[in-house]
Amino acid sequence: MPEGSASLQQLAVGDRVVYPNQGVCRVTAIDAKEVAGQKLVFVTMRREEDGAVVMVPQAKVVAIGVRKVAGPEDVKAVFAFLRSDSDKADLDWKQRARTNLDRMTQGGILGLAEVVKDLQVLSELRPLPTKERELYDNARHLLVSEVSAALGTAEVNAEDAIDIVLFPPGRERPKRTAAEFAREGEDDLGLEGDLLGLDGDLDLPSDEEPASESDEESSSEEGGEESEEKESSEESAPKKRGRPPKAKADAPAEGGEPAAPKKRGRPPKAKPPEAEGAEPAAPKKRGRPPKPKPPEVEGAAPAAPKKRGRPPKAKPAETED
Amino acid sequence: MIRVVTLDPFDDKQLAKLNRTLYTAFGVGSEHSGSAEVPPGLGDPLDAEKLLDQVKGIRAYQDDKVLMLTARKLKERELPSGVAPTQGFARQGKDRAVITLQPHKDLEVGFKPVARHALHQLGHLWELHHCLDPRCSMYPPWTPSFSQGEPIFCTFCREKSEQKIRLAKS
Repeated sequence: MPEGSASLQQLAVGDRVVYPNQGVCRVTAIDAKEVAGQKLVFVTMRREEDGAVVMVPQAKVVAIGVRKVAGPEDVKAVFAFLRSDSDKADLDWKQRARTNLDRMTQGGILGLAEVVKDLQVLSELRPLPTKERELYDNARHLLVSEVSAALGTAEVNAEDAIDIVLFPPGRERPKRTAAEFAREGEDDLGLEGDLLGLDGDLDLPSDEEPASESDEESSSEEGGEESEEKESSEESAPKKRGRPPKAKADAPAEGGEPAAPKKRGRPPKAKPPEAEGAEPAAPKKRGRPPKPKPPEVEGAAPAAPKKRGRPPKAKPAETED
Repeated sequence: MIRVVTLDPFDDKQLAKLNRTLYTAFGVGSEHSGSAEVPPGLGDPLDAEKLLDQVKGIRAYQDDKVLMLTARKLKERELPSGVAPTQGFARQGKDRAVITLQPHKDLEVGFKPVARHALHQLGHLWELHHCLDPRCSMYPPWTPSFSQGEPIFCTFCREKSEQKIRLAKS
């Protein structure tokens, strides 16, 4: 049960209350209304900041977390808390978000002060992320408006009163390190477990496997084309080209030798030799008509030189000749 | 629109420079709208709250923000948690603010800190709260590093002020 809600049973018109996450409201009416055949007593509240009106069934007032505005004694307690050295911000963002949400809705004025203080301390370690910066601004706004209502001063004076405690005049905010936030029996940021887990996942096997897969893919794609080209070149004129390293590399793969390709350990390269075990049939099975043709063309190379080249280039060559 | 009203004589060039800075920071027009007189009986360190209430003769439209500029010292405020050094004062969400040139001799010498204070107080008029970023003009103004910074806002305060200005335009 939120602090201050125990006295809500005697709520009267004109009372100032705090609606969680909305701010200071004034009760403008308490009247019975008939809704869907039921008679309910509604408390009508008007937000002081902008005049927004909200109606809450009286039975739900406590459950929602509506509470009376804090008194001067509560404000003193808030200043005492803000002045204290309770600078242990939670570094686990999930836990922090959950705690702060509870504090905002159920924590009363001290809960708001805790949110402000915690996030301010955290900001001394690192800049706040956008959502928490917004949360800090909301909490500060609600705290300022409630302190202002409690003390009966202007909001700017209430804010300065809070900040004189949080940012003492003539003193800079300290720089903090993650080690200061470490709890007993925990690692520095509480993140190392996760990071280690990720590292474990990202360790050697994962680094190697995807790389080898990608290599295989690329090599299979490239290798496929290359092998086809090489095959065609072998078929057409393996001896004429006279490139020993390539010829040696291709020759065992396409030569149909069973042991050599397996040693290389590249499945895509190993497979073509199996298919090429029947070398004369292999090029036909692959079904690329244009590539088998070049050997035929080369076979009749002297007879049809015009077919070889690219028409635009070949024609100028003819004209030059 | 931001209207700068002087309570003491100032150099026009420096006022124009201040207006340019305010225009850059808020993205709304800023101009020197003449001068006004300090009401008698406010004492030597001026009581900023009374000053805002009692100064008369300032003409402005509904959404305009008036920034009063004085060379006199402002009285420190007694707050429940201590004494607040006061180099400027503005009520949250209202339309008037005041800043002082003190402890600088003139606007030329202390232009940056004065402009930063101006941004700070005008930010309060657009309902900005104090910021956590020491580089932002909404950082608490009594901190030692405040007067050394540039007259700029952090991203959060800039966006929030723009949003408020957009909503306020009638």
